[in-house]
Amino acid sequence: MFARLLVALLLVAGGAVSAAPAAPPKLDVPPLEFRERVLGNGLRVVTLEDHASPTVSVQVWYDVGGKDDPAGRSGFAHLFEHLMFKSTRYLKPEQFDRMTEDVGGMNNASTGDDTTNYFEVVPSNHLERLLWAEAERLSNLNVDDAAFRSERSVVQEEYRERVLASPYGRLHEALARRSYTEHPYRRGVIGNIDELNAASLDDVRAFHRTYYRPDNAILIVTGDFDQKEVDAWIDRYFDPIPRPPMAIPRVTVVEPPRVRAAHFRETGPNVPLPAVAITWLAPSARSADAPALQVAAALLGNGESARMNQALVYRAQIAQSASFDVDLRVDNGLLIASAIAARRSTPATLARALRKEIDRLAQSPVPAAELAKVKTQLLTHALIERQTPLGKGMALGDAIVSLGDARRVNEELAQLQAVTAADVQRVLRTYVLDAPEVTIEYTQQAAAASGKDGTKP
Amino acid sequence: MNGTLAAALGVLATLVASATAAQPFATPPPVAAPRPVVIAAPVVQTLGNGLRVIVAQRKGTPLVTALLVVRSGTEADPAALSGLADLTATLLTKGTATLSAPQIAEAAEALGGMLESGAGWDRSYVSITVTRPQLARALELVAEVTRRPRFAGAELERARKLAIDGLAVALAQPGTLSQLAATRAAFGASTYGHPAHGTPASLARMRRADVVLLHARLYRPDNAALIFVGDIDPADARALAQATFGRWPRPAASRPPSAVTAAAPVVRAPVAIAMTGAGQAGVAFAAPTIARSAPDYYPGVVANTLLGAGYSSRLNQEIRIKRGLSYGVGSAVDARRDGGVFRVSAQTKNESAPEVVRVMLDEIARVAAAPAAVDELEARKLAIIGAVSRRFETTEDLAGTIASLEANGVDVAELTRAIGRIAAVTPADVQTFAKAHWPVSALQIVVAGEAAQFVDALRVAHPDVVLIPQKDIDLERAALSRGAK
Repeated sequence: MFARLLVALLLVAGGAVSAAPAAPPKLDVPPLEFRERVLGNGLRVVTLEDHASPTVSVQVWYDVGGKDDPAGRSGFAHLFEHLMFKSTRYLKPEQFDRMTEDVGGMNNASTGDDTTNYFEVVPSNHLERLLWAEAERLSNLNVDDAAFRSERSVVQEEYRERVLASPYGRLHEALARRSYTEHPYRRGVIGNIDELNAASLDDVRAFHRTYYRPDNAILIVTGDFDQKEVDAWIDRYFDPIPRPPMAIPRVTVVEPPRVRAAHFRETGPNVPLPAVAITWLAPSARSADAPALQVAAALLGNGESARMNQALVYRAQIAQSASFDVDLRVDNGLLIASAIAARRSTPATLARALRKEIDRLAQSPVPAAELAKVKTQLLTHALIERQTPLGKGMALGDAIVSLGDARRVNEELAQLQAVTAADVQRVLRTYVLDAPEVTIEYTQQAAAASGKDGTKP
Repeated sequence: MNGTLAAALGVLATLVASATAAQPFATPPPVAAPRPVVIAAPVVQTLGNGLRVIVAQRKGTPLVTALLVVRSGTEADPAALSGLADLTATLLTKGTATLSAPQIAEAAEALGGMLESGAGWDRSYVSITVTRPQLARALELVAEVTRRPRFAGAELERARKLAIDGLAVALAQPGTLSQLAATRAAFGASTYGHPAHGTPASLARMRRADVVLLHARLYRPDNAALIFVGDIDPADARALAQATFGRWPRPAASRPPSAVTAAAPVVRAPVAIAMTGAGQAGVAFAAPTIARSAPDYYPGVVANTLLGAGYSSRLNQEIRIKRGLSYGVGSAVDARRDGGVFRVSAQTKNESAPEVVRVMLDEIARVAAAPAAVDELEARKLAIIGAVSRRFETTEDLAGTIASLEANGVDVAELTRAIGRIAAVTPADVQTFAKAHWPVSALQIVVAGEAAQFVDALRVAHPDVVLIPQKDIDLERAALSRGAK
């Protein structure tokens, strides 16, 4: 469902003021007490017992994403994700829904640039069946042509809904394409109608064979279970799956540093208010600078009191929304400043105002209370996310995929708390002030051109 | 040597076998004995001024959601001022007697939370989620903005402009436009027809005095409840509530009666809205339906789950899974305090809109035509029971669920009974509900999109389709069109 890419950008964000409330009482987030092991076939297994509710979450994260789409098949990893709910050797089409939704549970999946995850929540007495079913679709996917064609049409409707029918969909779609020059991230995750049409069942079989293997997967089980029992089930259903002898292909393309700024104009047929997005290349999520960039992004964009919202939306009233997002990835990610105009303001005005706020944060003193504020926000957010078995599993999966190690789930928050104002200013100088930006202006297209399908990337 | 070769062949044979049939079992393992979901009834206390204090204590995570819900909202908008309750709630956090808007946002966010306010049908609310050590200060903010909003003129102008711009964005989406238009046409001039977030024209008409009056009439302790969910016990919650809301005066005048007017049963022709360049069509049906207090509310919930809620509903089976016509289709029985709205909606490529309309109509009629098979209905009941249960998992979701019960005038102990009541619904109950409430002739149909690609095909089954250009749409009129009567 390719959800993650779309949520961050262009939401109403918040800004900052200097009036300083006393530092709030300190509260630590309790560590996630998980266990980790690796099966003989290379499958990484993470388990975390939590008996707060009689439910359990099963997640399988595969180390494959939009960046691994085959050549000429943009959008394929995401299409493939949809097909994982069709038939296997021993599962009928949509039987996952019978085993989850029909018994009071849920399932879903998402495809990002780097990873694809499948997740379920079920009453805990159904856990063994779900482990069986996940092992089954990892081993024996067997999609027929009718299901393939029908689901491809669904994915094309998803493309139309997200990109063509949504007023700012084309701007979202342009971000990666305009921001990267070499890295396959530039193709985005959702792909396009033509390349989805080019996909075949042979592509599906080859992709499953290449990437859906135990040594390219992480199984995460969180919630109401007995450790000994779940260990035995995991051994029973996953251990027999063979590790294929061939190597897993990996993206080795490195996005070259930007040498010059660039400026693009994009249009759509139904753009009620102009918008602008400015991007810079970010370091890897695994970079030592990542925590400082996250704190910088929170100062600029997290909440109503954040600087972008206060400056552009509240004080100047030139924007309907203004935000700053840090989209960290395994390879170079993006820093994205964006705004949707209030009436009568222009993309150029918005771009100047966004830049001014970043410059001010990078170059003027940062009040201690403001820094304390965003750290408290980040901690509270982590606690809110980790209330459910699903949320705990997601936090663990993110740590493994983005940061390379499940243990980082418990270190990341401490690292965020350790960030200083000097760190924030240093990373903004390095990655924003001293780096070329890509600016994308987005406006209503001229009347004569409207009605064109616009599916070409 | 032989032994080694045999062993090597044996390994090879094993590998080949496991590569084609790695799974040790061809059928799913059995299901273990269930552990039922146990939900305790929230504790309800009442302060001297009539404010209800409702506590659902949950241990384990040091978080608390505090939610102040007023049992009046969008249904109280004056006829010419659609969106007034929402604008009023939005302005609560934009300045009080002692704090400016930026100071309020900064204070709330320094506590780690986000102070949110808004209005919907039968409710207005202020809420925040913080860690337990920050709760007392967070609650002071909730009380300050609820009781002493300043409603400064400059803030009203800001909020008005933001709301008008927000509408421009929302109405550019074919899905949103088709749903708002269908609801307006289905309800005509009656209360539930008007858009909750207003129209550009209604927002332009609002004056500070309108906001002040709405706040004075509806925001009163005997028309509100303060809900705590999380790491707090009822005694502490009561003490905090008393300290922050205890001196909120109860007006001498009695509470204003409900202003809801019943929907006039008008059947209107299907509407096509022409949106130039729309990347998809939004297909929406709407019709008046039951109130939350109706005796057949739970059969309605189950009927809706059978028809269009959840991935495996009949509508999603037919439109997405079988035909690949949409990324997702859904229906809702939105039962409110004094009536309700039945909605069905999907987005599809423009040329598929007539087929989606036809399948939707067929599936709605099929629920009434024959009882669902027992197996199908049991699965749908468990699906909705699971969805309801998951709403109990986080402090924010549970607080929202309790607020809905309060807004609808339902005893909050219903939380402990809802699952049993869903489980008791039979196939006959569902069919009876659909026969009584879902006559296909009562549905208002709206399709918004690139009309040239669907309007002729739509007219084959619906010759009376009314075509309206997007620029002429006026959601203040039941006929939807400027110039029309």
